[in-house]
Parts: sequence; C-alpha cells; structure tokens
Amino acid sequence: MSDTSRGALLMLPRRSPTPQLNREPAGRVTRRAAIENRLLASVPRKEYRRLLDVLEPVTFAFGEVLYEPGDAIRHVYFPGVCLVSLLTLVDDHLALEVGMVGREGMVGIPLALGIGVSPIRALVQGAGVAMRMKSAPFLRELRQNLHLQRALYLYTHTLMAQVAQTAACNRFHMVQERLARWLLMTRDRVRSNEFQLTQEFLSHMLGVRRVGVTKAAGQLQKRNLIEYSRGNISIVDEQGLEAASCSCYQATNNAQA
Amino acid sequence: MLAPYSPKQNHLLAALPAADYRRLQPHLERVAVELGCALYESGSQQDNVYFPTTSIVSLLYVMQNGSSAEIAVVGNEGVVGIALFMGGGTTSSRAVVQSAGYACQLEACVLKTEFERGGPLQHLLLRYTQSLIAQTSQTAACNRHHSVEKQLCRWLLLSLDRLPSNELTMTQELIANMLGVRREGVTEAAGNLQAAGLIRYSRGRISVLDRPRLEERVCECYAVVKRESDRLLCVNSAGAELRS
Repeated sequence: MSDTSRGALLMLPRRSPTPQLNREPAGRVTRRAAIENRLLASVPRKEYRRLLDVLEPVTFAFGEVLYEPGDAIRHVYFPGVCLVSLLTLVDDHLALEVGMVGREGMVGIPLALGIGVSPIRALVQGAGVAMRMKSAPFLRELRQNLHLQRALYLYTHTLMAQVAQTAACNRFHMVQERLARWLLMTRDRVRSNEFQLTQEFLSHMLGVRRVGVTKAAGQLQKRNLIEYSRGNISIVDEQGLEAASCSCYQATNNAQA
Repeated sequence: MLAPYSPKQNHLLAALPAADYRRLQPHLERVAVELGCALYESGSQQDNVYFPTTSIVSLLYVMQNGSSAEIAVVGNEGVVGIALFMGGGTTSSRAVVQSAGYACQLEACVLKTEFERGGPLQHLLLRYTQSLIAQTSQTAACNRHHSVEKQLCRWLLLSLDRLPSNELTMTQELIANMLGVRREGVTEAAGNLQAAGLIRYSRGRISVLDRPRLEERVCECYAVVKRESDRLLCVNSAGAELRS
C-alpha cells in the first residue's frame, strides 16, 4: 500500500499548494474509497448504484485547499482514507481548526443545508482518496434519496456537536490536553498510530503559537506517550494519551456513536 | 416591559408562505421566558422547539466539570432545538434565556411532520442550521484569538440585533458565564467601554450609547456572524444555485 492510501503524509508543502486532481481509473479504487466512506456505505445498494454514476474518485495531497471562506461550493467530498480539516480564519491569518472530517462524514455540508458558499477553509490534513460529486447532481440526489438525506442531517448534527465542543475546549483546556485530543482524533480517522506533521501546522490547528506546541509535544514525549522527531509523530501509549487528553475526546466520540 | 407579541416577529415564521404558516399557526403557543431559565439541559430529550420573538436564548456548551461557554446566541432570527429535526434527539448544549421575553413554542412531533414534508419550512430550518454552525465556528476562533473586550463588543452587538431596544438586562456574572471568562475580566472590559462612552452600565442594565463606535471596536467576528445570518433569509446566488 502506498503512503498516500494510508493517509500518512501530513507534511506541510514547501510552496503554496496547487490543487492537483489525480483522477484514478474507475473500478477497484472507486469501490474501495466509496465503501471506506461511512455515509456512502449507509445508502442502500440500489440507490448507491445511481450515486456511483455521479461520484468520481480524487486523490488529494497534503495541504490542498478544497474551499476558502467565501468560495462557491462546486463539489462535495466524501473522504475515504483522507482527512480534511475545517478551519475558521480570523484577521486574515489566525486559523483555528473547528472540525475534522474523515470517512465518517462529508465535506461541503453547507450545500446540503441549502447554502452554496463555504464559510470556512477546508484543508487536506491527511492525503488520500475521496469521492467527489458536483453540486448539481448532489442536490438532485439529495432531493430523491431519503436515506442520504437522513444520514447527512444526522452527520450534520454530530459535526455541530464537534464544533461546539471545540469552541468550549479552546476556551478551557490546556494546550497539552488539546494536542493529545487532536492526535487521537487524527489517529481514529487515518487509522494509523504514525503520521508526519510540522509544529507550524499544529499551531494553526490548535490556534496557539509554535512555542506552545513545542512545549506541549515535549511534555507528552517526556511522559512516554508519543515519540516526536523531525516531524514524525508516533503514538506509543494509546491509553496513556487518552488519559492525557481532555474530556472532549470522549465526549465527541460518544456524540458520534 | 415586554413588547407585544406576534409569532411573525420571528423571522423564520414570518418567511413562511401563507399556506405553510396557516398549518403551523394552531400549534404555535406563546410562552413567556424569564432571564436565566433553561429551555433545555444538555443531554436531555427535547419535547418542544422554540422560536424566540422578543427573547434571546444563549446556547452554552457545558463541560464535564460544569463550566460552560456560549457557543451561539439565538433570537428572533432563529429557532432553539435544531437537534430535533436533524435527527440527533438530544443535544450537547444547554439553552438558557439571556434576555427575557416571548417565544413561540411548537411540539416536537408537529415540527418533525412538517419538516419531513420537505417544503419551505425544511428549507428555512436547514439554512438556519448552517448559519448556526457558522456562528459556532466563529465563536470558537474568537474565543481563541480575541481579547475579552472585543468579545464583549461582539456579544453586545449580536444581542442588540435581536432586541427591539438598545438596552439589555444583564449581570456581569451572567456575561462571564456566557463568555466563559472570569468575572473580573468582564468588569474590566465593561469598565473600559463605559469610560470610552460607548455603553452605560448600572444595576444590571446595559445601555448602548454609541453603537457606531462599538462597531469600530468589535472584532471581525461580529460581521462574519451577521453576514451568515443575513444570508439565511435573502435570496442570493446560493439560493439560485440550490434551485438549479
């Protein structure tokens, strides 16, 4: 299995990312990525076959931007093994991750709710395959397909819970606890205990300065919960990391169960 | 003093076509809600939704240790209880009345039936849900990056937009709970705004004296949230796209 399909590349690109849509040939990849996504997997077979006609596999590299705030939503994306961060920007440069979308969800929820413009930046945080659908066929399907509708509304509810949780978590919890939570949420979605990421990237996700990230990562390493060197993070003690994370990790998991 | 009541003071109800509104009307019940009263507790089953008319409701996220932070504010532009029609059943937030007044109460089963018709009410409620998510996201970032004073300005302006007057009945302690900061922080921020002549604060009553200057001081988060909530009811390119 290649690195991309493990969703393991979390490195920041050296230059500003230019979206590259590497279209995969239909067939095996299509099916695999589609089944990976739990929303698509919940659609009954007959309706799913109709969806396949309008779904198209795309491979994303780390750092690609799917939408910027204010962009028209031209496609929605169902992540397979890739992972997408939803970031709110303030003052043009300060970012904060407010949600994380993996195979349990869809990127482009505003469109499902009737708003064709994205208020946030959607950034690929873990490279890999997703299925995408153009907005017009998506809206048509959504009207006809009650299963898809229910699944999406329910997912929206859990996303809302995640965003709310993040808002409160940012207010009350220490960087170290939040970092532990973020690492666990990433692990759950890429299904790997190892990934690469830079401290700069983490500082955008957590909305703290780089020194704060360095310190927090150092503390987790000292407690033998993670190993961190040259942008490689591996989780060595999952239970310990769960204990070190704030209550929000468990709360978000419960909300999604 | 409470302003006179009509369900159509709520913008969502007012935006419904006449036929849809008539179907709902017999089920809409006026309720007076008092400052500090909880419409839902987090994790509890919801039997009703509320369309505020003259009241304002604050959605608070409650942590395991009991501390809470406001994630969104709902007034006459919205509805409290979106979990009901999104299929979530219970909600992770607590809904507390932040400004006393009236709201329209509607039974859960009536709302669900109407939502599942897939008509204008569904359309409005879904769009409102998106603006609520946008508001919550912005609040998260604002909590992280902006000073208490800026947050207080945001909170005051968002509240004023949902009230018929420029006066707010509110204790510093409640504001501190809403913003999830210590009371001293609120006292200091409110003191600064008062010294600058933007607000007057006395005995649990806040009057805004100079709204334009308050808007100059606020962080961009206010405008972002306002834009998202204005987008909700106006037919714009997004609406056109939806129908295409």
